Amino acid sequence: MNYHILSSIIFLPLLMAILLGVMRAPLKVLKAGAILSSLTTLLLVVRVIIDFNPKGGMQFMQNLPWIQNAGITYSVGLDALSLVLLTLIALLMPLLYLYMLKEHRKGYWYNMLLLQTGVTGAVLSLDLILFYLFWETMLLPIFVMIGKYGNGLRQYNSMKIVLMTILGSMSMLFSILYMGYIYFETTGAWSFSLYDLATIDLSTKSSIWLTAGFLLAFAIKIPLVGFHTWMAPAYGSAPTPAVVIMSAIMAKLGVYGIWRFGYGLFGGTLHYYTPTIITLALIGLLYYAIRAITEKNLRKMFAYSSGSHLSLIALGIFLSNIYAWGGSLYFIATHALASAGMFMMIGITYNRFRSVNIEQLGGIAQKAPIFTFFFAFFALCIAGLPGTGGFVAELLIIIGAFKSSFLVGILSATTMLSAMLYIFWMLQRTLFGASHNETKIADLTLKEIAMLTPLVVLLLLTGIMPSLFIPYLEPQLLGGF
Amino acid sequence: MILTLLPALPFLSILLGAFVLMLLSHKKSISLESFNVTALFFLTLALFFELITFGLHSGDYLYPSIFKNFFIFDEFAAIFDVMFLIGTIFTLLVNSDYLKSRNYFSGEYFALLLFSLFGMLMLSHAHELLTAFIALEIASLSVYALVGYHKSKKVSSEAMMKYMVLGSLAGVFFILGTALIYALVGSTTLESIALYLHNAEEKDITLLVVGGSFLMVTILFKIGAVPFHSWVVDVYHGAPYPITMYMASTFKIAIFAIALRLYLVDFATINSFWLEMLQIVTILTLIGGSFLAISQTLVKRMLAGSSIVHSGYLLIGLSSIGLGSDIAAPAIMFYLIAYFLSAVGSFGILSFIASQSRRQMSYDDFKGFANRRPYMALMMTIFMLSLAGFPSTIGFLGKFYIFSAAIESGQILLAGLGIFTAFVSVYYYFKLIAMMYFYESQTDKQKSFPLNVSTLSIALIALLVIWGGIGTSLLSFIPGADGFIDLAKQAINSL
Repeated sequence: MNYHILSSIIFLPLLMAILLGVMRAPLKVLKAGAILSSLTTLLLVVRVIIDFNPKGGMQFMQNLPWIQNAGITYSVGLDALSLVLLTLIALLMPLLYLYMLKEHRKGYWYNMLLLQTGVTGAVLSLDLILFYLFWETMLLPIFVMIGKYGNGLRQYNSMKIVLMTILGSMSMLFSILYMGYIYFETTGAWSFSLYDLATIDLSTKSSIWLTAGFLLAFAIKIPLVGFHTWMAPAYGSAPTPAVVIMSAIMAKLGVYGIWRFGYGLFGGTLHYYTPTIITLALIGLLYYAIRAITEKNLRKMFAYSSGSHLSLIALGIFLSNIYAWGGSLYFIATHALASAGMFMMIGITYNRFRSVNIEQLGGIAQKAPIFTFFFAFFALCIAGLPGTGGFVAELLIIIGAFKSSFLVGILSATTMLSAMLYIFWMLQRTLFGASHNETKIADLTLKEIAMLTPLVVLLLLTGIMPSLFIPYLEPQLLGGF
Repeated sequence: MILTLLPALPFLSILLGAFVLMLLSHKKSISLESFNVTALFFLTLALFFELITFGLHSGDYLYPSIFKNFFIFDEFAAIFDVMFLIGTIFTLLVNSDYLKSRNYFSGEYFALLLFSLFGMLMLSHAHELLTAFIALEIASLSVYALVGYHKSKKVSSEAMMKYMVLGSLAGVFFILGTALIYALVGSTTLESIALYLHNAEEKDITLLVVGGSFLMVTILFKIGAVPFHSWVVDVYHGAPYPITMYMASTFKIAIFAIALRLYLVDFATINSFWLEMLQIVTILTLIGGSFLAISQTLVKRMLAGSSIVHSGYLLIGLSSIGLGSDIAAPAIMFYLIAYFLSAVGSFGILSFIASQSRRQMSYDDFKGFANRRPYMALMMTIFMLSLAGFPSTIGFLGKFYIFSAAIESGQILLAGLGIFTAFVSVYYYFKLIAMMYFYESQTDKQKSFPLNVSTLSIALIALLVIWGGIGTSLLSFIPGADGFIDLAKQAINSL
């Protein structure tokens, strides 16, 4: 059972999509099938969490030959790091299906199913070609969802995100191929397994170049400042479920990539880039925060806010001390929960008001108190309100930053301050103040409350009782990567 | 005695078929479908002979007492034969709708197609330069005629003139090269050339190098490498869809059959002379092809431009062979299979659409295609992804092997450039996907998926493209991604 469980989690949605597609399932069956597959994966993931041994390192491994001539294997496995992301994906998908329950366009559902397979596969693969496969294929559903179901300049923006991301992927592919070749040269056999490639000795110069290939892909995905031009347009154009996945999962995958493959393959060389990345991350922190303050479109505003926080996570990873690492890993989870909730709220806002422009909102608090509560809660989580998970995580990263250098510490602490600034100002203008339209606004429905409550509960749990979660993560963090 | 004829049966049956079709073609009473079926019968017959004799006659020559060592039978040639035959079968199957929709097709079309196929089959078996030239010209002349097949259409005639004049000029170089080699070696069989080179320690081999370069000019012209590319886009555009498909897939493979045989066996020892020239041509081809493909507005012309880029990838493989990469030759063969499938598929869909309407098929005409024909759009997407080298398709593995070979042979920058042009190609392939899916349709829905020979064979190719990319060795009874490359390796080893 355990041997196949990860593969089942990866491929269940894809198989469901193929099955439904071949059946030419009517909409109702399609919805039921998608929800069924997401709930089944969630159950499987719960099973994985129960069986997970925090001290066990990489587990649930499965190795199968795939393309033997080129030494490409199908190998998947799971450790604390991937467990965090896997849990997030499995948790968010049913909630997103609940969110889009009324969606009648079939392609939407198929894309979500494919997307789940893509992101899950990328999190679990331990073979670089396999990882590359999932890394690329998860882009396709996003491409279609933005381009077909998005708004604004959707065609242009979807093309932009695809081209920029693939530029990064291609540079990563080059590095992967070169490492495979070096392995071939030293051992006489081709292999692209993470553990095989980690054993090879690289000269400093080539190692620096190869690292750059990987880092470019991850920097674009995160995105670090300078590689971010796709971000705001894509977030602005994408439909809500796609935004949630992009911000909660895909951006995190960039960080995950640095962790898994950056540290896994080039532990030493990565330090060569530490000053560059830390500088970019610090600039990003401030730059994105300023852009978020001035932004009027809520989706774009939280795109920038997401960029700012991901820069903080990237910073934490490169600081390489246990506080910053722990904080980053924790922040991956809590920020994903908070931003998923926030983007869902923005989606709900759009459904209610047909606008996500701050200037056209206002005075919601009097009319829709439950809406206001959830909206404000998620916004404050993003700002790092004490008592929520984000606070714990940010605090850990900032402590880590102070440990490494006073200046970095001060600068990274500005994220919390600037986030407070734009969040509170935004809340003031959207929820309070004078209303711009006199029509009655429906408060949150039961379905919407059901969809948001798990996120709220988890955010509170992670904030109040971190001790529930830390034991899962600690052994691996102490063991280093 | 008669048994030695056995391996020759495939191309004899094609020749017979060509004559039969030619003789029948003056009869107006015979319908196109009957011609189609007749041609398919001979093709299947040839494929059958090819498969039962596969690997039985490795290294044999055809009637050495009569033909000397002009024709060789080995697995290398056999695999190429199979590819040509399957390519022609697909050309006929996929385009059966298109043939019906145009009134200018008649029996000669099938005869010409089989004649050109006969030329290609000879080409893959040719073990002597003049034989190779004759085979090449048999194939080319038929293709020239086919390109200009739509006589009343100006573009078609222009394309034919352009192709024929330039193609004949390029063919002359082959003869000149052969003459120069003959002047030095005193023979034109590949064996004696290889033998001469083997013993030519301190001898002057300038003539051979010059002759070999001339041969290469012809080869580069035929595959449309820059700077011999000026005909490609116009000719592909002017030719009827079935012929464009045939040229882009099958005919291009035939050229690589002879190129691989020449440069793997014949000139193996002096490959390094051409290395720099080849590398420069490769760089030009990759960049020039990308520019051509980006700037097109008609999808057919874009595919023509991109076929130049694909030639560039194949040339990367060729120069890797020159640098002694072991995996380069199988990589080229695998890439040929991969490109062949994707090209046949994508041109097949174009020809299917063309059979339904008379549009020029610019990018704009594809707007809302996914609404009109969801399955067709899905398959077109698969082919575009494969051409772009997106993982989980066979096109990705093709590029994977080519770039690995380039890196293995130390051509890091060339591999980098290849990967970069692959990135550029994402733009013009994804643009088509975007057009199909992201825009509303101007015309009504045509939901039903017409189940006929054309569409079913396109669907089969689409499945092959996916299976070739992800097929695992777990299902050992179906050859997957591994099976293709094993086949390619076997072919190269038989040389």
